[in-house]
Amino acid sequence: MKSNRTSSIVLHNVLIAVLAFIWLIPIVWLVCTSFSSFSGMNTSTFFPQEWSIKHYVELFHPDSVAQFPQWFMNTFVIACVNCLVSTLFIIMVAYATSFMQFKMRKPLMNIAVILNLFPGMLAMIAVYFTLKTLDLTNSYAGLIMVYSASSGLGYLVAKGFFDTVPRALCEAARVDGCSEARILFQMIIPMSRPIIVYTVISSFLVPWMDFVYAKMILNAGISSKYTVAIGLYKMLDKSLINTYFTQFCAGGVLVSIPISVLFIIMQKFYVEGITGGAVKG
Amino acid sequence: MTDQTNVMPEKEGFFSGFGKALVKGDLFVKLSLIWWGAGYIRRKQYVKAFIMTALEVAVILFTVGFAMKYVPKFSTLGTVKAEKVFNMQTMKSEFNDYDHSFKILLFSLISFVVWITAVVVCIVNVKNVYRLQLMEENGVHINTFKEDLISYKEEKFYITLLTLPVLGVVVFTLIPILLLIFVAFTNYDQQHMPPSSLFTWVGFSNFLSLFGGGGLTVTFGYAFVRVLGWTLVWAFFSTVTTYIGGILLSLLLNSKKTRVPKLWRTLFMVTIAVPQFVSLLLVRNFFANNGIVNSICDGIGLTGFLRDIGMISTTYIPFLSAPGWAHVMIILINIWIGVPYQMLIATGVLLNLPADQLESARVDGAKPFQIFVKITMPYMLFVTGPALITDFVKNINNFNVIYLLTQDVYVTTNQAMANSQAKEVDLLVTWLFRLTQEYYNYKMASAIGIIVFIICSVFTLIAFNYMIKGDKEGTYQ
Repeated sequence: MKSNRTSSIVLHNVLIAVLAFIWLIPIVWLVCTSFSSFSGMNTSTFFPQEWSIKHYVELFHPDSVAQFPQWFMNTFVIACVNCLVSTLFIIMVAYATSFMQFKMRKPLMNIAVILNLFPGMLAMIAVYFTLKTLDLTNSYAGLIMVYSASSGLGYLVAKGFFDTVPRALCEAARVDGCSEARILFQMIIPMSRPIIVYTVISSFLVPWMDFVYAKMILNAGISSKYTVAIGLYKMLDKSLINTYFTQFCAGGVLVSIPISVLFIIMQKFYVEGITGGAVKG
Repeated sequence: MTDQTNVMPEKEGFFSGFGKALVKGDLFVKLSLIWWGAGYIRRKQYVKAFIMTALEVAVILFTVGFAMKYVPKFSTLGTVKAEKVFNMQTMKSEFNDYDHSFKILLFSLISFVVWITAVVVCIVNVKNVYRLQLMEENGVHINTFKEDLISYKEEKFYITLLTLPVLGVVVFTLIPILLLIFVAFTNYDQQHMPPSSLFTWVGFSNFLSLFGGGGLTVTFGYAFVRVLGWTLVWAFFSTVTTYIGGILLSLLLNSKKTRVPKLWRTLFMVTIAVPQFVSLLLVRNFFANNGIVNSICDGIGLTGFLRDIGMISTTYIPFLSAPGWAHVMIILINIWIGVPYQMLIATGVLLNLPADQLESARVDGAKPFQIFVKITMPYMLFVTGPALITDFVKNINNFNVIYLLTQDVYVTTNQAMANSQAKEVDLLVTWLFRLTQEYYNYKMASAIGIIVFIICSVFTLIAFNYMIKGDKEGTYQ
């Protein structure tokens, strides 16, 4: 009986290990290939024949095609601005819909639900026409606007968190003559750390993860203006792939490390925000 | 601060309240209809009167100076083509005063929005002024301007909070959708590209050619049916496979038998934490015609075997470059990036699985498979049913997976598809993206956009219905 149970546990864990192995093959290949000394795609063996870090070094010596440091800075700036605007919008909307009662509250929330279900992709081409007419394509201003303008629609997670804050706390503050603005800034924000960290990280990650909007807005082909996503994509052009494939892998690894770390931290705060609530007991 | 609600009944229609205010209001209330500041002057709210007057002047200036340049041309979208004219005074060739069709369309639309807003502001204004009149008659204190300002961080704080986010959504989501609808009824394409030439209204002809009408050379109808079919097949399979896979993986990881579950979960999360443009572009080269997987398959003789049984006719396995193969591979690769994500969601839901039910089922001797089918799945479906529909809609528009995996790699050999710039593996959204970005065929892209829109709204409404019914807001408050 005992050995039967042990063998089932072993089988169970072996199954998970096999699955994890399958899931990680491409990632392992990415990391290995990035350390190859060969510039093009290695098509004969899984592991590179000669190991070297020269493509990481090349990444920091930009040429006319690959300008990784520049792309990284561009994306970082866009991400910071977007993070600021989006976080503000989301917290503002979440506070208004969670703590305040007003006539338009329910209708506005219903409209938000409907708009949320419509993928932003569809408004995209019309946004593109408009930005083109206003001469905002190939500019960061246009891209930031596209990322952050509608971000208020993503308020639901933060609102769900705010909903768990006991109403008695706010009532007490109101009775004491505290203005709504002070309740928000001095009471709610300090006690909502997990959800604010979650919001900050998730909006910071948007420009790093996005491909389609950047591809659409930054379409003039000026390498120094690209974000990381577009830059790396262009490296794999048919005419360039044989010279830049390993650099692409190196760049991919360098971008993925900070993003993965942030992503996993974000998930932790998300779970904390969902399960913890603001005030215990 | 006094309670204003007892002066004016809140439960009242938007327009009936306006009618009542107009009929019962005094001269100044009636005058506010024409001069927005009038009512405030009468109640000695001079700053407010000034602001409303300034706003009205701004709307009038906007109408005269801006809107009137574009709106009158809205019915034709412009008649004067851009031409170079020799100017005798400057001795240079200069452009004439030409019409820009897209600017006419866009700015007319903006004008309509501004005017509708102005009408709403006007109505609300009259009602507010009438309320002031009632307050004065009842001897209720009327706020000074300073008190009004303070109220925007007190009981009206929500207005301060919501103005900018709502404005953002209107400008970047609502107006573009309206614009998209307009463009679908014009002939805006590469031959009619402002500023060098004009485009105009063509009625339903774009939709006609999408549904099979039109000439023999352009075969949009043919391509549309195929792309739509694949879009729905893809959305169905990608949603179902990742959903079930996510639940199974999460059950596997959360089982008591699992050692170091946190480590495993993190390993699986790495695949979704890596940005899609890295992971998908990588996988695309992994499975390329001359890629590593093909070398290995050739090495172990799989390629030869497949050729012998007639499944392929090439010297490589066309994982992502032949119809059929590519369709299956795309769904498999989507399982790779979709399952860990669904696993995260399912883990959250499964934590709340009613433990007593599971326990009693186990005591009654139910097998794990029975428990999964009879208890776990129904519970998951109950909780995540609406999410399943939204996932379906998201997959209809799953641009990244299709575009990153097949762009530049997959070349269609079907001439009829190629004529309308479509491929067998395209979703409606990737097709419309290519039409806009590579072929400047905005009219067809917009028409496809509207179709996608309608398909999405049908599913959205179903999901929405569920959500409103299951609205548990307030139970925690």
